[in-house]
Amino acid sequence: MNEPEKVLVRAQGLRKEYGREGGLARAVNSVDLEVARGEALAIMGPSGCGKSTLLHLIGGLDRPSAGELWLAGRRIDRLSERELARLRRHEVGFVFQAYHLMDELTAQENVELPALLAGRSPGEARRRARQLLDQVGLAERADYLPSALSGGQRQRVAIARALANEPQLVLADEPTGNLDSAATLEVLRLFEALHAAGLTLVIVTHDERIAATADRLISMRDGTFVDETHLAGGTRGNLVDLAGLGSE
Amino acid sequence: MGRLLLVCRLAVKDLRYRPVQALLLLLAIAAGAATLTLGLSLQGTTNNPYARTRTVTNGPDVVASFFPGNSNASGPATGVNPGGSNTPGTGAGEAAATSLLPLEHASGVVAHSGPYPVTWTLLQIGHTTGSAEVEGRNSGSSPVDHPRLMQGTWVRPGGVVVEAAFASAFGIHVGDSLRLGGTAFRVVGTAVTAAIPAYPGTCGRPIGCFLVGNIGSYNPGLVWATEADAKQLAGSSGPEAYLLNLKLNNPAKARAFVNRYDNNASSTAPTLYSWQSIRDGDAQVIAKVQKVLFTGSWLLALLALTSVAVLVGGRMTEQTRRVGLLKAVGGTPRFVAVVLLFEHVLVGLCAAGVGLLVGWQVAPLVDKPGAGLLGAPSAPSLTGTTVALVVAVALAVAIVATFVPAIRAARQSTVAALEDSARPPRRSAAVINLSAHLPAPLLLGARLVVRRPRRLLLSVFSVAVTTSGLVAVLIIHARSATWSLGPQVIQATTIISVMLIVLAAVNAVFIAWTTALEARHPAALARALGATPEQITTGLSVAFLPPALLGALLGIPGGIAIYDGARSGGGTTTLPSALWLVAMVILTLLVIAGLTAVPTRIGARRPVAEVLQAETA
Amino acid sequence: MQQEVVLAMLAKEPSQGYQLRARLDRALGPLGEAMNDGQVYVTLGRLEKAGFITRRVAAGTSTDRKLYELTPAGQERVTEWLSEVSWPKPDLAEFHLKLIAAAQAGLADPIGIVDMQRRELLRRLREVERAAMAEPEHSDAGLLLEGIVLRLQADLRWLEACERVWTEWRSKS
Repeated sequence: MNEPEKVLVRAQGLRKEYGREGGLARAVNSVDLEVARGEALAIMGPSGCGKSTLLHLIGGLDRPSAGELWLAGRRIDRLSERELARLRRHEVGFVFQAYHLMDELTAQENVELPALLAGRSPGEARRRARQLLDQVGLAERADYLPSALSGGQRQRVAIARALANEPQLVLADEPTGNLDSAATLEVLRLFEALHAAGLTLVIVTHDERIAATADRLISMRDGTFVDETHLAGGTRGNLVDLAGLGSE
Repeated sequence: MGRLLLVCRLAVKDLRYRPVQALLLLLAIAAGAATLTLGLSLQGTTNNPYARTRTVTNGPDVVASFFPGNSNASGPATGVNPGGSNTPGTGAGEAAATSLLPLEHASGVVAHSGPYPVTWTLLQIGHTTGSAEVEGRNSGSSPVDHPRLMQGTWVRPGGVVVEAAFASAFGIHVGDSLRLGGTAFRVVGTAVTAAIPAYPGTCGRPIGCFLVGNIGSYNPGLVWATEADAKQLAGSSGPEAYLLNLKLNNPAKARAFVNRYDNNASSTAPTLYSWQSIRDGDAQVIAKVQKVLFTGSWLLALLALTSVAVLVGGRMTEQTRRVGLLKAVGGTPRFVAVVLLFEHVLVGLCAAGVGLLVGWQVAPLVDKPGAGLLGAPSAPSLTGTTVALVVAVALAVAIVATFVPAIRAARQSTVAALEDSARPPRRSAAVINLSAHLPAPLLLGARLVVRRPRRLLLSVFSVAVTTSGLVAVLIIHARSATWSLGPQVIQATTIISVMLIVLAAVNAVFIAWTTALEARHPAALARALGATPEQITTGLSVAFLPPALLGALLGIPGGIAIYDGARSGGGTTTLPSALWLVAMVILTLLVIAGLTAVPTRIGARRPVAEVLQAETA
Repeated sequence: MQQEVVLAMLAKEPSQGYQLRARLDRALGPLGEAMNDGQVYVTLGRLEKAGFITRRVAAGTSTDRKLYELTPAGQERVTEWLSEVSWPKPDLAEFHLKLIAAAQAGLADPIGIVDMQRRELLRRLREVERAAMAEPEHSDAGLLLEGIVLRLQADLRWLEACERVWTEWRSKS
């Protein structure tokens, strides 16, 4: 097969509207976007700016009203429900702000669910789930129900679940929205590890700390992009000043 | 006063906010109330028509029957061989005269007619075969029991008059030609009488019939012919019976008269029957109909109750949350309970009213006395007890529907009620482990359906009740080949069967709908993880099949139990053929699968993001 | 380097210069590395001049090894300092006035200034976060880094508010 595309996600003129004539709301308004393979992209903006909607469009959870959307060289804006489901099974992993774990399944059963849906044998799915839980540092809580886990732990289970079918792209919608400072750090570490392993990440957030870990940061307002910042290559030498240790 | 007003406002507001759910609850309770009303109001409704017929035809107070050819004098019932030698025709006539003569002059008797010869024979009209009880009459009018012609003219040589209900059942009209015992006759009229019960009760208990050989394979109806024709039909052995109609000076003393003169010990004495027992014979059919309707209405009430339970269960989370909200803004648990109660009592009372109205209107439609008696029964009155009972049941249902969320919410903390952590879905490790080995749709379906075990039980119960009713009906029909039931009973069983199926279908839709509603979050999540909407719809539909199968299988012994319990008298229960049972089970599964597919399909198509966002709001 | 900090570090026991330096390093982690050696000795000198510490020769060593030790005055000062609740001043007024001056004089677009500052802070935030994640859990330095992170986050939030308000100002004028 051809070598993998360097641009993993490409959007052109993407639009999403709600409502009818006289009450049309443009959630996403003519957005052009390119995400390179292996890149970590953060999208920031105030509530209601359309960043979550954009993420849902990229992940195939919703269909655009207009525009083109390409994932790994394939055009996905016109796919049927069934093909979108396949996409979600194999190419894309989604992490939600509210975790959205099944309350009646243990951590392990939650993580193995996508693998089972993709047709893997129960034994294989279980092995993979154990491995992933180990990766996120929750191996000894594999048999706990979500109600017995803290917010940060639940989000880590959700991240492990998103990785179950080895996706190329991980989409995270406000992954630290419900978490405190310490839990946020846990999640940050995980994302760093995934990034280092070559996974492509698109994170929607209004937490500057998450945004700062990305390679590129896009600001969004009223459905369009208003600013883009490249963050790689930082400044050094001011740390001491920041800490208040500078000479007086 | 202010509190009361507040309670009213809150209750009415909630009902208007969710009108559809309130309406569905009302309909479900009303269905139960209507069937209960129907069952309770069918009481003794043959009185009037029988009385009217008796007056018009100058019906007898006592009928005496004499069977000349037998060692036992009382008329044998179906298919029993007479035994004993038969006396030749004229000798039989003399024997009848000697036996019956004393009765003509007994004290208290003011008039008599007969004795009339009676014989039983095969009847053929067109391609239909049946059997007939032929009573020989003269062409003039009789002092006692003068059958009232509904159509046509009275008997003449070669011309017979058919009893009206018999004619209606077999589609016999004036002018048709038929064969009695091989001989051709023309139908010259149809008539009603009060001396012998109408078809299909002609050979019911009171009079007894002489059914031998293949005559006994059919349920005989009454046919009047001239005496000569009747005696000719009887053949060389002569008429099998003679009937004497007596009129007393005091009709109320008919039973006493019968007790005095009926002599079971003597083999040659005639057997007497009072007009009350003939009326009961007529009423037997109605009694059967009533039994079918009464039993059926209890089954329907159970199904309606299941509907209510499903609907209330579906609203439970929302109601619990409402209770939590009211508590959070300062309502005491008692106040909260009062609001809930008020709301449901309103619904319950309206439902009782609707149910009573519907039941009262429908009862006359199913309760017709049939063609064999004159006129319509008095509209079954709604007695005070019926009204009170129905209202009480409807209120009880409404109250139970209130109390469960109210008590539940009162017991737990406000926070838990608000957060809806109150009713977490049930975890079944066994199902989760087993379903991992199934293909994706079944995996999802099994896990989704098992989240609410109570609803699963309700669906098994609903199917079981329905199939019990249907099996009981099948048993009735399986028996009817040997002893025909008549159109009214068939009508009643058909009505009950249709209503059972309709209510069961409604239940299936309710259950599927509440399940789809409740499962929309995990279903959306499954779709976000890669399941297709088709997989979810298929999975849920298939997941409801095992409980449906269990219910259908439970219905078989259930139906047998119902039949055994409802009918009086002994004898074995004939099982319906295995083919019918298997067909019923398969049909049930197909219908359930089809019905559950519709609501789940609608729910599975909403955009995933929308559903997931809504849950976090 | 705050004088009181060094003073307090000596409260545990008299130490030599390099020991002091080592303890500071452990507490400050990567920030400690960026610190200048000379800073510590300059501060020690000032403290000695102010009379809070004395220098003496360590027993059993050559005369080069100097041991620094608290005086009673120094002790008092430490106790006082530990119970003080003053907090390092935020210094936002400068930036705030920078924006106003630029807008009033028409010298530069305030929003442009804000954006530039934002980018710079984001890059710093990134650096500090990297450092924080490299620290083992529950390390002292990690705690310090978290504090820096949170402050940067607060500053970034304020810059976002600045951008919002100045955008409205621009659209109105």
